[in-house]
Amino acid sequence: MAEMQLNIEIKRYNPEDDDGPHWESYEVPADPLDSALSLLLHVKWHIDGTLSLRKSCAHGICGSDAMQINGENKLACSVLVQDLVDGDGDTITYAPLPSAPVVKDLIIDQSRFFEKYREVKPWLITDGPAPEREREQSPEEHAMIEDATKCIMCGACTHACPSTWADPDYLGPAAMLKAYRYTFDSRDDGAEERLDVVDSPDGLWKCYTIFNCNEACPKDIDITRWLSALKRRAATSQASTKA
Amino acid sequence: MSTPSTPETVSTSVLIIGAGGAGLRTSIELASHGIDCLVLGKRAHGDAHTIWAAGGINASLGSLDPEDRWEIHAADTLDEGHFVNDPTAVETLCKRAPDRIRELAEWGMAFDRTDEGAINQRYFGAQSFRRTCFVGDRTGQALMDTLVQKAMDLEVPYRENLYITDLVVESGQAAGAVGFDMDAGRPVAFDADAVVIAAGGHTSLYRRSSSRPDENTGDAQALAFKAGVPLRDMEFVQFHPTGKVTPEEEAGHLVTEAVRGEGGRLYNTEGERFMERYSPTQMELDARDVVARANEQEIREGRGTEDDAVLLDISHRDDDYIHDRLPRMVEEFAEHGIDITEEPMEVAPTAHYAMGGIEVDFETAQTEINGLYAVGECTAGVHGANRLGGNSLIETVVFGQIAGHHIAETLETRPSPSLSEAAVQDHVTTQDALAAAEGTHAPAEIMDELRDLMWRCAGILRDEDGLLNGLRGLQRLRADAEDLQVQADRTSRRYERAQNLRFMFTTAETILRGALERTESRGAHARTDHEAKDPDWRQNIRSLPTGDGGMDIGLETAGQPSRRVQQAVDEEHELDYHHLE
Repeated sequence: MAEMQLNIEIKRYNPEDDDGPHWESYEVPADPLDSALSLLLHVKWHIDGTLSLRKSCAHGICGSDAMQINGENKLACSVLVQDLVDGDGDTITYAPLPSAPVVKDLIIDQSRFFEKYREVKPWLITDGPAPEREREQSPEEHAMIEDATKCIMCGACTHACPSTWADPDYLGPAAMLKAYRYTFDSRDDGAEERLDVVDSPDGLWKCYTIFNCNEACPKDIDITRWLSALKRRAATSQASTKA
Repeated sequence: MSTPSTPETVSTSVLIIGAGGAGLRTSIELASHGIDCLVLGKRAHGDAHTIWAAGGINASLGSLDPEDRWEIHAADTLDEGHFVNDPTAVETLCKRAPDRIRELAEWGMAFDRTDEGAINQRYFGAQSFRRTCFVGDRTGQALMDTLVQKAMDLEVPYRENLYITDLVVESGQAAGAVGFDMDAGRPVAFDADAVVIAAGGHTSLYRRSSSRPDENTGDAQALAFKAGVPLRDMEFVQFHPTGKVTPEEEAGHLVTEAVRGEGGRLYNTEGERFMERYSPTQMELDARDVVARANEQEIREGRGTEDDAVLLDISHRDDDYIHDRLPRMVEEFAEHGIDITEEPMEVAPTAHYAMGGIEVDFETAQTEINGLYAVGECTAGVHGANRLGGNSLIETVVFGQIAGHHIAETLETRPSPSLSEAAVQDHVTTQDALAAAEGTHAPAEIMDELRDLMWRCAGILRDEDGLLNGLRGLQRLRADAEDLQVQADRTSRRYERAQNLRFMFTTAETILRGALERTESRGAHARTDHEAKDPDWRQNIRSLPTGDGGMDIGLETAGQPSRRVQQAVDEEHELDYHHLE
């Protein structure tokens, strides 16, 4: 027997039938160590099969089930019931990530998010042919980008940022973290191309260091720190261009 | 229920079924030759089983052990595979691995580095030298990121949430495939000049597996078999000794081998460190199949926990050490209220990897059917009777490149039959009928029964009675499936499961029959009624489609390695070091 009954409120929206999003409530059994995802799956499998959500690995690796849970952006599979409620009869709310078009229920249209990802050229750009063996990189140089390589592109950060809410064209922390990751890769020669993209009205300077991204990141990446480093690089490169 | 009976039609030069490491590497090769292709994934893009691979990817770079060379990598692979591997596959893999690793680095993959700045390499089970390159404990994810980003750079198109139900072959040539869009709920027909199957393994046929639920259902193998391609080595299924048993949604997920590598001990509920009986010198660090069988034996004989598990304990090590060496494990168990620095973990064997699969010519990655290719875990031959850790990721990129290259070279001169409307309509009608099925048995129930049956009858320990029972049980479940209750559209989970069942039955039969045929124990295949390895069984068992939906068994003597590799085998390289990941 489950330890408690919880009230689950889900922001539902089916563009084919509904005028707009609305909240629906469900009663579900839960244990403190259940994931927030397992409660949603209970609704989908046992109460209402029409509920739509993205999920895949259920293990915090694929990044498909980022959503707003009790008002905060989280990966549903990586947050436990005990960290969301005090006990029996409490409520957990689920909504799609804010400031993106909703496809259905908890599924957002990620196409803009992935376009921004592509805009920063998230691949190694190198001058000249590949050497016979690998390009060298010291452990210290590797450590510069290691934290940033943990990103799973779940979108929790970008959709937690007030700048994204205010400006849908804002590149957002996820894409700019990728820009950092490659610009600061000691093997990369593409800084200029990438800085052209991020050093723009919709880029770095709309990051006001509010730290929402850091709080939302399920991988605890120090995003603000890396974006600050990228800002410094952009500023120096601007200065040297002017000089 | 409204089921549109007219399918969406899509044309591409090369259709790639599967969006993991193998599929993406194939697409990158094609795109860099300027060839139009389309990658299909059953799930969200960038998400595939590849991301679960933690430990690493093998290549004899010699960053730390300069005496390593590809021949020794091949010898280790053959040795672990008990010499029923395809020698061409093994030699190609090992020879080309260094180039593929350096290429991944060149595309940006952030491999861990040595102090000298070279790609770092770690020890891995049963390897003679430090040969396994890695990115922390998330190598697979890093590999996928790199390939997804490279494919993005080359503007490779993809479709996600796309389920393929059938291949279409016209006049002996691959002509395309039929499936459905799981979001739109509409059938889709793909017209292509070549088709690549890169759709992974089949281990979710088992009650407990490291696969995600409703994935790795043997789609790839069954698709190829139905199209007329032989499968081989299907009896060889790797069981990992330590899978989680709770919580339910994580049952079967791996507890990394590094826990034992760092000193973890296995106990039964009587408090006995039972590996002393099974392997007094190597203890917990003996080969995967040995430890898996020991765990299974303890559980079967009633010395397991209520959850049918044994106990894996690392708590005798310092807390700091455990946090430092096993951060992900500490975190994963803590999420469920278990502090592994204080208490043991419940673990049990879990189905982990399919060594068997589709027969291909490893020089081209092409199957018996012209224009039909297969790459990655879905193929048979690289791993033989047991897979060397770290060889599965490298397999995806080595053979993905080979498949893409061969297609690129031959596409222009290849006859390209178009998809016949009749064939497409046939498949769509079958899909419609399944959606409308109004019988008594729920797909999920049959699937559960099948998983129990495979676990019981074709699991870690096998014997003739069990396997025959398994075949009879399979026949009964197939009969039940004739009377399926679906009544759901193509976007539903119920419908997806009903489709999975078709694949699972085919694949299950090849495993059961292969395991029955092999009257010996070799690598991952353990027969309690034939416990010894039999030198006369250095053969491969082939599952041959008969054309009327049935199958025959065929035998083929395993090939001989080249002289260079045989020499490396004879040198008996071995690591006197027990560092397992």
